[in-house]
Amino acid sequence: MNTGVEELLRDGMERFTAEVRAPAGLARAAGRLHRRRVAVRAALVSSAATVSAVAVVIAMVVVADARASRAGSQMVADLTSQVRRAVANDNMVYVGQTSANDGPSTTWAYGRQSRWVEYWPAADYRDRVVNGQRRWDFPPQYRGQAYSAEGTALVGGKLMGAYVIYPDRKYTLSRQLPTQQSACTTTGALEMGGPAVVGVKWKSFIDEMLACGAASATPRVRVNGAETTKITGKPVTVALSAGYSKVIRAKWITVRWALYVNPATFLPVRIEASGTSYGGAAGTSVSSGVTDVRWLPPTTANIAKTLVTIPAGFQRVSLGEV
Amino acid sequence: MADDAAERELERFLAERADGLMRTAVLLTGSREAGQDLLQTALERIIRHWRRLDGDPEAYLRRTLYNLAADGFRRQGRLQRKMLLLRPVTQPPADPIAEVDLRDALVRLLLRLPPRQRAVLVLRYWEQLTEAETAAVLGWPEGTVKSTAARGLRRLRELADDWPDSGPSRFRQPELKAVQA
Repeated sequence: MNTGVEELLRDGMERFTAEVRAPAGLARAAGRLHRRRVAVRAALVSSAATVSAVAVVIAMVVVADARASRAGSQMVADLTSQVRRAVANDNMVYVGQTSANDGPSTTWAYGRQSRWVEYWPAADYRDRVVNGQRRWDFPPQYRGQAYSAEGTALVGGKLMGAYVIYPDRKYTLSRQLPTQQSACTTTGALEMGGPAVVGVKWKSFIDEMLACGAASATPRVRVNGAETTKITGKPVTVALSAGYSKVIRAKWITVRWALYVNPATFLPVRIEASGTSYGGAAGTSVSSGVTDVRWLPPTTANIAKTLVTIPAGFQRVSLGEV
Repeated sequence: MADDAAERELERFLAERADGLMRTAVLLTGSREAGQDLLQTALERIIRHWRRLDGDPEAYLRRTLYNLAADGFRRQGRLQRKMLLLRPVTQPPADPIAEVDLRDALVRLLLRLPPRQRAVLVLRYWEQLTEAETAAVLGWPEGTVKSTAARGLRRLRELADDWPDSGPSRFRQPELKAVQA
């Protein structure tokens, strides 16, 4: 089967991209991105402001965009006010405690900073087979201890993407920081199905999802005695890649999620997510998790917990090696 | 205002070339969303340098796309990398198993290769450039292109070797039985 792989690959690439079309307005969007970058740079240079640096940057972006589109001063004022309200709402430290059937994890997030820690599961996972090997056959002494931390770290005063694996004593760094996905894309919905939902401006994210039909809202749902609004995402089904589907012996996965938000602030108090895989020899299996969310004041101590710390003596490796 | 002029000229250029560039970007990143982000980042760079641009904008844009991709544009965390294993679809087909064949498997494996290998293979077998042309786009020595392509192809051939010689139908048979059972 060695001959013709190149041809099959070319053929596969043709098929993979056959229906891909460029969206309209790419040049305009790139122009907006360019002006935004210029505005952000200008804001960072002249940082003599009375409000927080984040608010300045965002407000400058709004002003720059509005100038570019010749919008009136009223629109600028409205947008700035909206942005400032959103910043005020999100200016808290997110702490998510996730209980899932493939292990517990904790997420700390604040602005662009985040730290997602996965722990060795307390339960016995000896039956779980990945790539023909028992993946979760943990030594009992490790159970309940941190297995990995993923998120952002301050390196030489600069925020970078970081991933640490504690038992291997290895870490990797990347210039790429976690970004918020669009609420209306499949990728966005899939991310909601994961345990670590970070870097989200919740109010605008939820508004966007409701507007595009990616989610629906149910008022007055009680969680731990408190009234919440339940935001239920539209289930998303994706085909598993050939390799992955062979491993878990399923062809499809359907991701479902629901947020329970404080109706006054739009900040989540609970996130439920599940993935149901099916269509293969393994039959139907469900992995699910519940994240209980607390919002803490942005004190120095709390903000410090939203950063991954690289332990001394750990070896830095490339992303492909972890 | 110079940026506005650049934007207008870019719009005219994209009217003809955008679909092809978008396909390349999707192949380099593995999804439409990430492909769009990559293309927009490259376009933003071209706007930044429009006035100083001397020569073919498409060549510059392609070089930027491939170099951003090879540098690991949108390198993602473990969870997000798991998501690359998933291929978004709007509706599952009536017989999902029938959709899986070696061509799809090769492309999905391509999307899981390290960014540098992926960029080289897309240039060689999608753009059908020679090793020398690929080296020129990426600004690498020709030998590096050769070895990187060889490593990527070896991975793909390993997958192809595991695939039954008689094609995907035999591979599917046991799974079909299992599903029917």
